[in-house]
Amino acid sequence: MTGPLIPMEIIPEAWNNVIALLLGMGFGFVLEASGFSSSRKIMGTFFGYDFVVLRVFFTAAITAMSGIIYFDFMGWMDASMLYINPYYVTSAIAGGVIMGFGFALGGFCPGTSFCGVAIGKFDAMFFSAGLFLGILLFSEMYPLFAGIYNSENLGDIKIYEMLGMKRNLFAFLLIVAAVGMFYGAAFVEKKVTKVEY
Amino acid sequence: MEHNKRDGSFYINPYLGGVLLGLVLFATYYVTGRGLGASGAVKSTVVTTVHTVAPQHAHNSGYYSQFLSDDISPMSNWLVFEVLGVLAGAFLSGTLYGRLKFKTEHSPKITGRRRLIAAAAGGMLFGIGSQFARGCTSGAALSGMAVLSASGIITMMAIFGSAYLFAWIFKKLWI
Amino acid sequence: MNKRYLILAILAVAVGAGILFMPETDRDKEMKPEQLLIAIDDPSRFLTTDLITDRLVKNDPSLLLIDVRTAEQFKEFSVPGSVNIPLDSLLTTSSIGIMSNKDIDKVFCSNSELTADQAWILAKRQGIETIFVMQGGVNKWFDDIVKVEEPSPTEPSEAIALYRFRKAASQHFFGTPEIKSVVQPLPKKSVTVHKAPAGATSGGGC
Repeated sequence: MTGPLIPMEIIPEAWNNVIALLLGMGFGFVLEASGFSSSRKIMGTFFGYDFVVLRVFFTAAITAMSGIIYFDFMGWMDASMLYINPYYVTSAIAGGVIMGFGFALGGFCPGTSFCGVAIGKFDAMFFSAGLFLGILLFSEMYPLFAGIYNSENLGDIKIYEMLGMKRNLFAFLLIVAAVGMFYGAAFVEKKVTKVEY
Repeated sequence: MEHNKRDGSFYINPYLGGVLLGLVLFATYYVTGRGLGASGAVKSTVVTTVHTVAPQHAHNSGYYSQFLSDDISPMSNWLVFEVLGVLAGAFLSGTLYGRLKFKTEHSPKITGRRRLIAAAAGGMLFGIGSQFARGCTSGAALSGMAVLSASGIITMMAIFGSAYLFAWIFKKLWI
Repeated sequence: MNKRYLILAILAVAVGAGILFMPETDRDKEMKPEQLLIAIDDPSRFLTTDLITDRLVKNDPSLLLIDVRTAEQFKEFSVPGSVNIPLDSLLTTSSIGIMSNKDIDKVFCSNSELTADQAWILAKRQGIETIFVMQGGVNKWFDDIVKVEEPSPTEPSEAIALYRFRKAASQHFFGTPEIKSVVQPLPKKSVTVHKAPAGATSGGGC
């Protein structure tokens, strides 16, 4: 079967929601079991006492990336059919910086805050409520932001195209960099005093 | 060290978690052709709420109207079901490892009240930022990295880069 | 360092090395001939001159009318608001860059629809989406909009409405001192909007 299955119409659209529920459950389970329902564990990445976020995040990214590249190579999946977020230069960077600010204050990101909500963390519930308000605020003030939001669209460009690199070379370098980072993280973790949480 | 798996202190190995998460993400791409997400579900909720409370306003707004169509409710969205799954999955894991408990987690240096205010403010900023970047850490950064999209990787660097900076400014909130 | 992690690290780098030495296939964006055949068979790529005129008059930002005739022909006469990309430079990097934005409907036009349709097939093969062809080409546009003929009063009201629309559009583009009237949009009935199927472009990520 050549993936992606739903865009290729191998699985009917009607299954969409059931699949969403199942994949979401996998997502939620892994996040919670890795400790992403605790904001102080997440924040450990930024102070060096617990790099679980960095480890899980980059391991997941390189696993999924390798899977896609290998499946594409074997002809089991058409990677060109995958959805790529369009790159609006200023909007993406501005959004990232605002989210980084929110991360440092709130200690969650949306996905992890839902995990916190599921196991009864009040701070996660407040974060989720804030999320709702923030999106409402953005939508109401959209005319103000529309200029930035829609400017400098580079389309669904890939990072290696932007750098003028071969895809496979970039993927290899990313894996090596991730492994290097894991070793660096272990090194830093040893030096920094543990924080009890 | 793993003899007491149910007292809430046991977490799976982060690399195992990462590989499992990567497989879930890969399966999502393999089946649906899109990545995972989280903030999109909140966006659907916002759009639905506004559409119910003030339908005229929703149709006139340049932002909501992009996500409204006449026949399907924005609530019946892939991401909404996915997030319901996230809640269920996290609840399952919380039950399995004994972490189900109502509490506010905060640094001993601040009060719980302060933590809640900071959490709400952080959530609000995350909400605004995720709209600018067209996705949050899961939808833009993680899923974007799996397909090597420029927007995903740039957004990821912007999030983590600025979070490192701001985290040290708000150090008191955490350690 | 822990031995187990060393093995894992070597495994990860080995997976990466496998990717590195994988031959990079160049099939990424180009269409298969069978798919192209199905696409060519589909007449929905043709847009009528009236529909395009309507969108031009409204200054629709999501419309890009691309004239694929030679630069000389373009200079002689062109539809106002169109840009010139001669057929021989259709596949240059800059042209593909202009056409790669999925949110904009690209409409090709030439004297008849022949060259425009060739451009359409080339672009389609290249993997460019939301592209269309102006039915009848610039000649038909000129006949319809510039040399528009008044129908006799006995004709059906749709024909008269269409005439008014075309006349007004003509004035909008070229100006006529005699009558001053506002451009009226086409009656809904005669407009068939061919929108690219939604899907890949919708949503907003996460």
